[in-house]
Amino acid sequence: MASVQMDQVKKQFGEVEVLKEVSLTIQSGEFVVLVGPSGCGKSTLLRMVAGLELPTSGNILIDSKVVTTVAPKSRGVAMVFQNYALYPHMTVRDNLKFGLKLAKVEKAEIERRITEAADVLGLAAHLDKKPGQLSGGQKQRVAMGRAMVRQPKVFLFDEPLSNLDAQLRVKMRTEISHLHRKLKATSIYVTHDQVEAMTLADRIAVMYQGKLEQVGTPLELYQNPKTKFVASFIGTPSMNFLEKSLLAKVQAPSLAFSAGIRPEFTYLGKKSEKESSRLGEGKVVLVEPLGSLAYVHVAIEGQYLVSEVKSDTFPAVGDSVSVGVETSKLFFFNEQGLRI
Amino acid sequence: MNRKSEPLAWGLLLPTLIVLSVFVIYPAVQSFLLSFQDVEPFSKRSFFIGMENYQVLLRSPDYWQSLRVTFFFLILTVVPSLVLSLTVAVLLDSNPFFQNIFRTLFLLPVAISSSMAAMLWIFIYNPTAGFLNYALDVFGMTGPNWLADPDWALVAVAVATVWKELGFNIIFFLAGLTAIPTELKEAAELDGASGWQSLRHVTLPLLSPTLFFVSVVSVINSLQSFGQIHILTTGGPMGETTTLVYNLYRDAFVKFRTGLASSEAVVLFLLIMMATIFQFRMAKKRVHYG
Repeated sequence: MASVQMDQVKKQFGEVEVLKEVSLTIQSGEFVVLVGPSGCGKSTLLRMVAGLELPTSGNILIDSKVVTTVAPKSRGVAMVFQNYALYPHMTVRDNLKFGLKLAKVEKAEIERRITEAADVLGLAAHLDKKPGQLSGGQKQRVAMGRAMVRQPKVFLFDEPLSNLDAQLRVKMRTEISHLHRKLKATSIYVTHDQVEAMTLADRIAVMYQGKLEQVGTPLELYQNPKTKFVASFIGTPSMNFLEKSLLAKVQAPSLAFSAGIRPEFTYLGKKSEKESSRLGEGKVVLVEPLGSLAYVHVAIEGQYLVSEVKSDTFPAVGDSVSVGVETSKLFFFNEQGLRI
Repeated sequence: MNRKSEPLAWGLLLPTLIVLSVFVIYPAVQSFLLSFQDVEPFSKRSFFIGMENYQVLLRSPDYWQSLRVTFFFLILTVVPSLVLSLTVAVLLDSNPFFQNIFRTLFLLPVAISSSMAAMLWIFIYNPTAGFLNYALDVFGMTGPNWLADPDWALVAVAVATVWKELGFNIIFFLAGLTAIPTELKEAAELDGASGWQSLRHVTLPLLSPTLFFVSVVSVINSLQSFGQIHILTTGGPMGETTTLVYNLYRDAFVKFRTGLASSEAVVLFLLIMMATIFQFRMAKKRVHYG
């Protein structure tokens, strides 16, 4: 286990600035998820920690030692790639063994680690198969096994679940979480899926346009977003934003450009509670029933809001409904998207 | 294929079948039949003589000499060609900046005809005015008469052949290398592999289908080399560059011993087939497909 520090790390590809002086400290044993939309620089940052990319300026420190120009193999990191990156000509056993053989680990120790990783990851029956004979989930496990057997100081995950189907993704997410609790290794996990980020992370670092927008625990980010981007990115469905005529109905501060409200604090139909503001009549444009609840999309004064409705009976598309929001749960943002 | 589409399929196949029959199948069958006959020069008369042409070949010291020359020519062309082209391709692959310009430069010799290439090498090898001996002279060395020296002629022809074929192989290797996912090389780097270990344990096994294809084609090309030998040395000096194909050409079109030449063609075909089968057998264990 080791701490990882990114100190004013900047990366430029020609004229394009991919990372703008990012600083982030990850404590030993912590599971930090870098999350953000495509192209925000999260994978580049991870690759710099791995040593696969050199920063234009700034430093990477592992266990307080500067490793910015140190070769990947000497950093004590292991990485799980998005496309698994398993050697297709080697069996699962050889894939796991490759790094250990190069590190000249003793044969008995190699076997012990392979057996242990295979048991933990349920790969024992597949050790003599080649990657081409495995399913996506099994390949992903082998990729994790390959990282595990090296007993690295830091685990790096680069969107490891994005190639799996939805069901398998949930299963593997649980397994990764379980594995982290067991190994307690420092882990940096890159994803664009905020559900993955919320469920796995000790802390989440939200990135946008090459900058760190906010770093905090999943609940902190959900309950106390510092920017409009974080507010919109964290949470499913996304936060609603009231602008123009709707903003005027919620007693916004003078500098407010928009007000954010989560779908669970948006009310439809019945008269709003005492601390809520009525926005007016809206028209239901879409209903997404999810069993015990539904997300109802409403068009009101040229804007669209989503409301979480917990009821046995949901409004139908085309219905006119009264829309209200819980005022104490409103977040106000200025024109630059910063929280007021 | 359903019954309705059958005539259409035959219609589409017919042009190819006609061309193949006239230019490949018929000459091949004729050549095989002629190898059992004694054909009179400049006439259509021929006599069935059984295996006599093959017996003549086996007794001919010239033929055994050409077999020896062919074997050395094969080694001198295929091995350096594969090693050099693979090395250049790996270097170009790791330096994409230079890839376009060097790829074009290396491919240029492939684009020019064998005879043009051979003429160029005649100038280079010229013992008195040639560039090679001039360059050696600068370093205080005296070069031989490359194309007339029995010790050097085969090497000289082989060098010209490798130069001509190099670009073709480089293109295939580059395509193969480009198809290997970068992530695999990065995974090897993270696993602690040095550049050489990554090449040996990851890149080469994944490049093996290309390596296999290029080596099979190179062996066949080498065994069929003719143009550059004809222009550079005409098989000389003292038969030191007379390969099986060149021997066949001389028997067929200089000495007009058509039956004997046909038997040589059959033996050459069998040799190429055996070499290819051998390569396929070797490939079973060492070539990794996906």
